[in-house]
Amino acid sequence: MLFDQAIDIPETLKGDAVSVTLMEERARYNLRIKSTDLTEFKKLTGLKLPRKINTSSAAKDVTCLCVGPDEWFVIAEAKSKAKLDKLLAKASNKFVCSVTDISHRNVGFEITGAKASRLINVGCPLDMAIEAFPVGKVTRTIFESAAILLRRTGEESFQIECWRSFGPYLRDFFVRASRDF
Amino acid sequence: MSAFRKSGRGMVDASKPVNFTFDGKAYQGLQGDTLASALLANGVHLTGRSFKYHRPRGIVGAGSEEPNALVAFDRGEGRVTPNVRATTLEIFDGLKAESQNRWPNLKTDIGGFNNIFSMFFPAGFYNKTFKWPASFWDKVYEPFIRNMAGLGPAPKSSDPDVYASVYGHCDVLIVGAGPAGIAAAVAAAKKDQRVILVDEQAEPGGGLLSAQNVEIDGMAAQDWLTKSLTTLRKADNVTVMLRSTAIGYYHDNFVAVNERLTDHIPSVEPGRSREKLHRIRAGKVILAQGGIERPLVFNGNDRPGVMLASAAQTYLGQYGVAVGNEVVVFTSHDSAYQAAFELADANISIAAIVDIRDKISGDLQQAVEARAIDLILGSSVSKTSGKLRINGCEVYTASSGKKQSFQCDALLMSGGWTPSLHLWSHSKGGIKWDADLAAYVPEQANENAVCVGACNGNFGIEAALNAGTKAGGGRKKFKVKEPEFGSGVVLDHLPNYIDSSKQKAFVDFQNDVTEKDIKLAVREGFKSIEHVKRYTTNGMATDQGKTSNLNALEIASKAVGKPIEKVGLTTFRPPYTPTTFGALAGYRDGELFDPTRKTAIDPWAEAQGAVFEPVGIWRRAWYFPKDGEDMHAAVARECKATRDSLGIFDASTLGKIEVVGPDATKFMNLMYSNSWTTLKPGRCRYGLMLREDGYIYDDGVVARMAEDRYHVTTTSGGAPRVYRHMEDYLQTEFQHLDVWLTSTTEQWAVIAINGPNARKLIEPFVEGIDLSKDAFPHMAVREGKICGVPTRLFRVSFTGELGFEINIPSHYGRTVWETLFEAGQSYEICPYGTETMHVLRAEKGFIIVGQDTDGTVTPHDAGMGWAVAKKKKDFVGMRSLKRSDLIADGRKHLIGLLTDDPNVVLEEGAQIVADPNQPIPMDMLGHVTSSYWSESLGRSVAMALVKDGFNRMDETLHVPMPGTTHKAKVVKPVFYDPKGERLNVV
Repeated sequence: MLFDQAIDIPETLKGDAVSVTLMEERARYNLRIKSTDLTEFKKLTGLKLPRKINTSSAAKDVTCLCVGPDEWFVIAEAKSKAKLDKLLAKASNKFVCSVTDISHRNVGFEITGAKASRLINVGCPLDMAIEAFPVGKVTRTIFESAAILLRRTGEESFQIECWRSFGPYLRDFFVRASRDF
Repeated sequence: MSAFRKSGRGMVDASKPVNFTFDGKAYQGLQGDTLASALLANGVHLTGRSFKYHRPRGIVGAGSEEPNALVAFDRGEGRVTPNVRATTLEIFDGLKAESQNRWPNLKTDIGGFNNIFSMFFPAGFYNKTFKWPASFWDKVYEPFIRNMAGLGPAPKSSDPDVYASVYGHCDVLIVGAGPAGIAAAVAAAKKDQRVILVDEQAEPGGGLLSAQNVEIDGMAAQDWLTKSLTTLRKADNVTVMLRSTAIGYYHDNFVAVNERLTDHIPSVEPGRSREKLHRIRAGKVILAQGGIERPLVFNGNDRPGVMLASAAQTYLGQYGVAVGNEVVVFTSHDSAYQAAFELADANISIAAIVDIRDKISGDLQQAVEARAIDLILGSSVSKTSGKLRINGCEVYTASSGKKQSFQCDALLMSGGWTPSLHLWSHSKGGIKWDADLAAYVPEQANENAVCVGACNGNFGIEAALNAGTKAGGGRKKFKVKEPEFGSGVVLDHLPNYIDSSKQKAFVDFQNDVTEKDIKLAVREGFKSIEHVKRYTTNGMATDQGKTSNLNALEIASKAVGKPIEKVGLTTFRPPYTPTTFGALAGYRDGELFDPTRKTAIDPWAEAQGAVFEPVGIWRRAWYFPKDGEDMHAAVARECKATRDSLGIFDASTLGKIEVVGPDATKFMNLMYSNSWTTLKPGRCRYGLMLREDGYIYDDGVVARMAEDRYHVTTTSGGAPRVYRHMEDYLQTEFQHLDVWLTSTTEQWAVIAINGPNARKLIEPFVEGIDLSKDAFPHMAVREGKICGVPTRLFRVSFTGELGFEINIPSHYGRTVWETLFEAGQSYEICPYGTETMHVLRAEKGFIIVGQDTDGTVTPHDAGMGWAVAKKKKDFVGMRSLKRSDLIADGRKHLIGLLTDDPNVVLEEGAQIVADPNQPIPMDMLGHVTSSYWSESLGRSVAMALVKDGFNRMDETLHVPMPGTTHKAKVVKPVFYDPKGERLNVV
């Protein structure tokens, strides 16, 4: 197998109350542009980059997450990578910006179920109440000793991204904690 | 039914007997009992020996304030918890508990001789007594003291239990489910807020559980409690957590609550968490912790059977247990009368009520007379008798000099009440002295927090309910029929005809501190209450002065001669009650203690039997032993194979930072001491990073990928700090630059291929890159494909051999590695680990930051002045490099060392001297930083930081090591291929 994220998800993480899956291959970019260029950049690329920090936009196959005044993550289906590579390279030439491919830097988990937010609160100190952390909200935060990117994808579903070497640590934490659910 | 059980009373279930053992002896209690109530029901008061004097001690309280009845709770092999309060330990069938601090047993304790010689063990005794001879401290005194003192035994094996932890959030956190807390929760629940109510007991209700003759809004107290709890359980927005102790209150309303999940259950399935630490962030905190009754400090007040009046009330009301048959009550406060009346009404004989005061209210007087209780005013207990349990006491009336003796099997005391300020104090809430209560009460809050009920100094159920309701946002006023709380007096010294030096009047039962000790501490010059606390140990350790603080303060303030509010209160510290280490660790045992980062190639190395070493939180393959090789043999083989033909090395952990933007070069020029202006896209350069102080901070090869894009590498361990260092400068000093940083450490797996056959190996797999010597020179970078996946291919060498570092997206790393390894078989490819990497680089004199430098080494000291640009106007560290001490003569320089005996490998860290015959202490010139056996050279090589090293070339220095002092010659630190010809072998 050429593409190998080397993280197995055991059956015990496929519960009714909470279920954890490893995300398939994705194209990921770290995008840095000046907020003054945002409108023009969006026009050129067609990417729905949200202006408000800690919010995200989800299109069919591309999600854009704003995590700082000049910082976005673009996460897309793997099949869109060649197209996005070209599009972003083109934009790079036109704008003062930084586009860095981090497709393989991260691994992603999808956490779903009635107790998904409880599993997140095992290691993440943020308030996961729907009012405090609504659908679409995204933030860089921690899960115990791992830095994570956390996004709420639905009332009972979340996406967690972390650097690939922290993936097994998160997985092991999920396994231990879910025993108590 | 046990002799002391009063049927029909309390919350215990008389139909469910529970069998347990204490010190190996079988007892029976009832469902709902604590160990303390069950023992008392069996007539057992004696539960332990005291900390210092090994005096027999019994149960004093009925809750977590208990200072004496600390037991070892034994749940089987490896599961003994010391210092558990018998008053909070719920019994279950098969429970085993042991008393502590006694040998051979509780009734006959050898350590009791400390008591006989107690005059030799006053406060601070070991600071005074055990001073001489000094050598005795480690071997005799300290082990002796440690053995004799201390409480329960520390566990020796690792804890077989598992623990949990979780974060929680709420709008209102209420600590304490007594009347105030429940009223607050009911009120807050109506406000549609998220409410968490925690209580340390198994049953919510606090004082209401044992309240007699109390009516709330026309309902019996217990009925009101049941109704309110039903309301709370039905409310979706309320969580009631029982067996949950708020152990600490930290900044911004962050409260740690430890929930005990399984200790009360006879058999627990393996893997179930024993305790769970809830880390709760609350919008508002309502503290309803209640108050703690204060003991009276009188001669003989620590005899088993002497206890708090309120505790006797609780045992009777909540557990249906009489603490004795013949009881004397000794008080300075009205509240103890209620205890006496409740006991009397339950047909327990009250031998006498002794009151310090000359006069009490007419109502009380009448109630005493109605029960025909002997009331002795203006008097105090002057002594008690009984060996392992009180059997009598003497009452002394100072005005007449009269002494009366009473027989009794329990003595209840009450010195008034202390609001429980523990958590309030953790939160740094202010306090003020309340002269009427003779206690400190909360003043201004430091957090969004409020104290309600007894812990705010508002005693009585009606006051608690109303204050709780108000804090919870409600307006309701309760009407409560309850006995009046009343008032009391506080004396710093109880009248006694016995000379005070002959009295044993304990202030802190748990730490064995007497009234005399506190006065002694003041006499010896400890005027601050914090000093008195430390000198006497009053209020320290697991007890945190719950019952003792104010009595100690009262005594100290009189001894110092200052009003009590000028003496202050000692600081309460978390945890409120002793907490297991397991609870604090939560899930983070074993593998989950900290992440172990592994590369994409790590599973391959593991399958090959690699030995690993930690590098930061990475684990890296250290060496690959074959057929029982030791490290020395494996490394020698790996080095030789690499230099002779081909080595393959996992360099994925190298830190990587993508520096992108039109001002990338300007930024690089500022962050590194080298110049980047002249570096062309497609070329690499070794970069040296300094701190502001001019010392070497990190290094690594940097590739310029494009005009505006650099691929920076850092040391494996240094990646996070280098990134932070760069980002820090970018956001503070160099904000004007258009450049951005992205960590790409984990984007790329890095495979280093080194050796004369390196090019031959990769050539067939590479697409789109001309690998020929001239098209792709040393220190160049190209983008293309390898094994069909994108690569940034570096031609660099950390070994001195022809070398390539293949960067590929991480999730392809293992496949590419395995493909190259397979193909490399025709060149006898050898996987090598970090040890061989270290040896090969040392043979070339390449430094490792953090090994050959230690944060005090400048580029010049390291012989790397060439890496400092001369023409740049500015870079981090530039000004410091001109400091007089950094350019002075006599600094330590990094040089090479060759031992006279080529077989001797010096110890890294060994000191270096010029003259080994100099008397000790010798002048130390420096130390060995790197030292290895070099298989390629057939001898050892070493690097060292040596004073004035560059001017000592060819000088012989001496390296003392255990047993022998070795001679070594100073040389340039390049041992192998000094001209670098091997980079271009083929």
